[in-house]
Amino acid sequence: MECERIEELLSPYLEDELTQEERQTVDNHLRTCADCAELLSLMRETRESLSSFPEVEVSEGLTEKLYELPQKRRKFRFVSDFLLRPSFQPIMAAATILLIFVSFYVFHPERSTINRSIESHLKIGFSKVEKLYAEAESITHAVGEYKDTLLVSIKNFKPFRGNEDEHPKT
Amino acid sequence: MLVNAYSKKVFNLAYQFAGSYEEAEDLTQDIFFKLHSSIEKYDFEKNFSAWLLTLARNHLIDQYRKTKWEKKSRDEFNEHLLSADSRSGPEESVMIQESKKIVWEGFNHLSSEIRMAIILRDIQGKKYEEIAEIMDLPLGTIKSRVNRGRLQLAKIFKEKREKVNGM
Repeated sequence: MECERIEELLSPYLEDELTQEERQTVDNHLRTCADCAELLSLMRETRESLSSFPEVEVSEGLTEKLYELPQKRRKFRFVSDFLLRPSFQPIMAAATILLIFVSFYVFHPERSTINRSIESHLKIGFSKVEKLYAEAESITHAVGEYKDTLLVSIKNFKPFRGNEDEHPKT
Repeated sequence: MLVNAYSKKVFNLAYQFAGSYEEAEDLTQDIFFKLHSSIEKYDFEKNFSAWLLTLARNHLIDQYRKTKWEKKSRDEFNEHLLSADSRSGPEESVMIQESKKIVWEGFNHLSSEIRMAIILRDIQGKKYEEIAEIMDLPLGTIKSRVNRGRLQLAKIFKEKREKVNGM
């Protein structure tokens, strides 16, 4: 217990940050506890090793890469600014909605049911289009017939026939 | 200018913390990229060096938490460090070299926060107040972490010595 308390004071002891009284307590303990005395000696050795730790030089390759970083960042900013510009936002929103629908379809557990439903809706739609097309054709045909009748009627209409009856062929 | 003035400082912090030369190069690039991105946020009344080291410290600890470097082995002590140490060579005793090697390998046993505190205090020689600013922690917490780190390293020393003597 006493050793644990002393251990807390070993760094401030080494750095001369203890009060006179605390220093005296540590000194007294160290005289009677070989373990703590050894620990202090090893801590001193550790500090000496750390303080003379060599500084490594930065390689030329890394220095070059660090100088190129601002240019890379500018390119990155150009791309991000382009994609995030306000005029692009409706397109992004539309793409997001589309993506939500696509992912809903792709990841839905009952995809086959959705497929069947889409297929039946497509079939119904297709038959409706076919029916409309047929109706349109019959209307075109009826209009054509009506046009012919109308032309015949116009031809037979007296005022347009001129004086065919007054000047009979000789 | 930023590269000239701070690349060595950031690279050494990354190397001492991560323990791998290649990893430290990647981390330094990441830190400088972040520096360029957030330079607008820098408050000119603050110490730039401390601000940069805070940025570096945050990135290093975040990456450490994501990848757990502690599971990876550190570079051999003599790979880059020995060649960089001008004091090394015949005049530096084998015992001092051995101590540095034990400390270097011992970093793997320290938690990321304690490791960072020890590097800043005992390798880079920063004041406790500066470390508290960089790590954004109270002064008492920093002092306690530095003490715990030194105790852990001293115990690692003891174990290694006992192993060597026992053999």
